[in-house]
Amino acid sequence: MDTTYESIRVSSKANASPSILIAIVYIFKKELTQFLRYPSWFVSMLIWPVLFPFGYVFTAKALSGPASSGINTFSALTGTTDYVSYMIIGTTMWMWVNWMLWGFGSSLRREQVLGTLESNWLCPIPKTTLLFGYSFFQLLYSFVFMGISLIEFMLFYNFRFTGNPLLALLIIVASIPSIYGIGFIFASIIMWVKEANSMVFLVRGVITVFCGITYPLAILPNWMKGVSSFIPVTYSIRSLRAVISAGARIGDVRTDIMILLLFGVILMTLGILAFNYTQKKVKETGSLGHY
Amino acid sequence: MSHYAIEVQDLKKEFAIKKKNVSFWKRRKENKSFVAVNDISFNVNKGEIFGFLGPNGAGKTTTIKMISTLLRPTCGKILINGLDVQKNSMEILKNLGTVLAGERSIYWKLTGRENLKYFAAMNGITGKKAKEKIDYLLKRFSLDKRADETVEKYSTGMKQRIALAKALVADPPIVILDEPTSGLDPQSARNLREIILEFKEEGRTILLTTHYMEEADQLSDRIAIIDHGEIIALDTPKNLKRSLNKSNTITFELNRWNDVIEKELQQIKSIENINSYFDENNRKWEVKVQINNGNETINNLITTITNSNIKINNFKFEEPTLEDVFINLTGKSLRE
Repeated sequence: MDTTYESIRVSSKANASPSILIAIVYIFKKELTQFLRYPSWFVSMLIWPVLFPFGYVFTAKALSGPASSGINTFSALTGTTDYVSYMIIGTTMWMWVNWMLWGFGSSLRREQVLGTLESNWLCPIPKTTLLFGYSFFQLLYSFVFMGISLIEFMLFYNFRFTGNPLLALLIIVASIPSIYGIGFIFASIIMWVKEANSMVFLVRGVITVFCGITYPLAILPNWMKGVSSFIPVTYSIRSLRAVISAGARIGDVRTDIMILLLFGVILMTLGILAFNYTQKKVKETGSLGHY
Repeated sequence: MSHYAIEVQDLKKEFAIKKKNVSFWKRRKENKSFVAVNDISFNVNKGEIFGFLGPNGAGKTTTIKMISTLLRPTCGKILINGLDVQKNSMEILKNLGTVLAGERSIYWKLTGRENLKYFAAMNGITGKKAKEKIDYLLKRFSLDKRADETVEKYSTGMKQRIALAKALVADPPIVILDEPTSGLDPQSARNLREIILEFKEEGRTILLTTHYMEEADQLSDRIAIIDHGEIIALDTPKNLKRSLNKSNTITFELNRWNDVIEKELQQIKSIENINSYFDENNRKWEVKVQINNGNETINNLITTITNSNIKINNFKFEEPTLEDVFINLTGKSLRE
């Protein structure tokens, strides 16, 4: 052992409480550093936005009939003939939710499996700080992903904005609290049930079917439409399509934005409550460090 | 101000056990509980190394998880530097440096330096102060030359050292170590034990769990022997061994062993305890016999064994060890 260090005496003075903001920044930096050490993730980030909508676009093309006669029916239901933009707006939102579930929603579980969750729990910070740190990294990731997607859509799908891009950005920002509220609840449940895959498939499946990722909600049975109205992603997709494809203005989507913000407040509150409840339960059962 | 670093009073932890093979409707009735820690009390003096010695599943890790705020006790009280763990968990965590799960408690995809930087920030230490502290710790734990390599490339001993450095990054007065040398080669284990002794020289209080009796003996000022969730003895290693002062241990290496000969030996009055163990690697029986009156019994023992057509390959007369103390208290070996 190296014995050249100076002899130290232990200070009886405790350290100052760590700043929550600084802790969030360091969690963000740690997540980013680890992400960059897996270059294959970045490759999938480039390929996935182009590849994923193709399946739906070709299905739509096949169903549009001879001389695209089916497009009239599609237009009557959606108000646009641009089915490509229609599909890619839906699939991009789906991919955002998907990344959020796998990345952010599974973050605590991943730490649990690695063995580092207890190390973080032993730091003198409120434990919700961990969730906020992961969510800020996932937000950066999502924005980079959407930026790359946008460029690729323009190059490969001839995608163009009809409406105001800043209004589309505002809808995305208004969707963040509700989507991450779902993520908070999801992360807490996964830490509890210790199985991410089945939960991701369940939530993703519900969003695929009920939120109109690739089809208009008008074709759904009434009871399914009722379920759709309780999922915030439905409003994000609807208003984004209205702005991007039909050139809607803020007055046209104001209600959707307000609903998204309301969902955000409710789901974020539920998410934090779920996390605090899980925190209490794992302390009782001792399952914090279990695989 | 309490002169104890850690005070544990009537601590108990009971876990509910859910039966997996019982139908959902009957489960509520069938559920049982398991007492991992049963009404234990002890105090750890400031500046001492306090060892928790016991076999796997004895309740050592459960106890230290309750002390380090990760687990809520069913009942009982824990005070750290006079503060109640249940009421002041944030303040408590500032006083503790805990290493659980050793090498797995750090990020393998980060470098050693990045790990320390991260955990320093999570403990409120950033900027120049953090840099100085990290440089010092990396040098102290002989990790400075490989500080900028990812942890996944480190040996097990190096990973364990970076986990220890992480626990020291906030300069805590109390260090809690759960099986710190488990899985290490003898040289790395020796190095780590030296580090633990240095912690004590710096004035820190150390609570460590181990199932290696030599380690507990070498490091601890006082030892609590724990079995089935209960403290069955608590004293200095010297006093624990002295409690067996009237008895000595003879270890035989035999070619075979059976219950008949064990019962026969138990008839000899001066024999206090017999513990047999089959060494799979060397295909031989190791039988430890505790006796309380020296040579007279040895003759008797050897005669009885050889008369049973058992070959004695070797035997040695030993001073009592903590293993003997454990056997004397529980009737079984730590390895069982």
